[in-house]
Amino acid sequence: MSWLINTALKIRSWGRVAFCALAALCLGAVAFAQLGELRPPTNAVAGNSASIAIEGGGNATFYLIGPGSTMKREIKLGQDVTLQPQETQAAGRYLAIVCADTCLSSYFFVAPGKPASIAFLVHPSRAPVGQNSIISGVAMPFDEFQNLILSPANVSFELAADGKSLGSHETPTHFGAAWFRSSSGRTAGTLQLTATINGVSMRRVVQQVASEPCNLRIKGQRNAKGVLVETDPVRDCAGNPVPDGTIVTFTAKDGDDTDTVDAPVKKGVARAQMIANGAVVISAASGVVMGNELHIAGGQ
Amino acid sequence: MRKISKLTRFRRAALLIAAALLAASFTFAADAAPEVQLNTSKAAPRAMESLTERAILRDYKFAWYNLGLAMESNSTAPLNALFVGSANKWLHDAVDSQRRNGLSSRYLNQTHKVDAVFYSPEGDVLELHDTAGYDLKVLDGSKMIHNEHVTVYYVVLMTPGADRWVVRDIQAVPQF
Repeated sequence: MSWLINTALKIRSWGRVAFCALAALCLGAVAFAQLGELRPPTNAVAGNSASIAIEGGGNATFYLIGPGSTMKREIKLGQDVTLQPQETQAAGRYLAIVCADTCLSSYFFVAPGKPASIAFLVHPSRAPVGQNSIISGVAMPFDEFQNLILSPANVSFELAADGKSLGSHETPTHFGAAWFRSSSGRTAGTLQLTATINGVSMRRVVQQVASEPCNLRIKGQRNAKGVLVETDPVRDCAGNPVPDGTIVTFTAKDGDDTDTVDAPVKKGVARAQMIANGAVVISAASGVVMGNELHIAGGQ
Repeated sequence: MRKISKLTRFRRAALLIAAALLAASFTFAADAAPEVQLNTSKAAPRAMESLTERAILRDYKFAWYNLGLAMESNSTAPLNALFVGSANKWLHDAVDSQRRNGLSSRYLNQTHKVDAVFYSPEGDVLELHDTAGYDLKVLDGSKMIHNEHVTVYYVVLMTPGADRWVVRDIQAVPQF
């Protein structure tokens, strides 16, 4: 009899537990139903407004965690959340979180906008003429918010000197970067390099300078102190005058004595006063170029 | 005699606590340090010198460690001198807006598989593709509102600074 009563009580308490569990499940289901699906934008572009659809009903807190901003906003479920243009300026991955009793999340990507500027790096700033593959440049397109544009775009590299086009070269960007190499021209002066992407241009200038001296020629005359020696105008092999400051080394051999003078080119010509009393042989060199030898007799 | 024994016990306890704290700090450091693998075999048009490779690895790892620190502590100080240009601006804005909204994020158990895909002819720009994995936790005050392990693909631009390589641009993309 007592066993029967105990069993009946147990069944009753188990029934209560089951009822409570069922009620909790129902409440949970009601809470879950309030916070429905989160649908982020599929083609969001930097600096454009976008909207996120959130199903459900009631109040919730909306969070947006992006590469350049974090937002927290109280919202009503069932209404779209509009993202303002200034909230999506940084391209990248955005995480949207909605919290009511529980939290739901979803992520989406914001793509960069149209090209607005180009980072154009050119090397070197001064290049000797007639050198192979000495000039190089890298172009990277950015949108107005400084997001790197990763989708392929054709970059046109143009070279010009004295207003005359020397040629152009088109290459597509690969993951946001395009590059070129070029030889320097034959004439000293400025070389303009322009990178253009979808109508957006950026210009850089390379100063082409004379290359190494070529055909160094010297002449001299005896004076009271010894021999005054000077070069003809020093030019490179393309005929460009070498820049002032280029060093020419004069060497005078007077028997066993040697006198050496390093003289900088000034206004295209290098000059040196050599000390020599007797017969002397004077030579000149600049870089890897040797000039002619000058034989001057003693006392002449 | 009894007093000495108490003192010894106290010293032992203090030593044990100090050792435990030291061990905990090492464990924290080991957990917090991002694991970075760098592959430079695809770097073009310029091949990467081994010294540069080591510097990139060191500086990129340090940048991510400090990024995590900045996002967790809501302080922009760890970002200084490691991020420049738009990367610096975005991260400063992210930290500032997190702080304003009372949020913080944690980037835990970071792994980065990094490929150098573009190294400019003169060595002044480097583009990396980083397949990053980490546990991302977002907290509103002390309440955890998001916790998941994510894999994110980052395109990163680095340039040489005065004494290190700095991150100039960092952008997550759907895929490489």
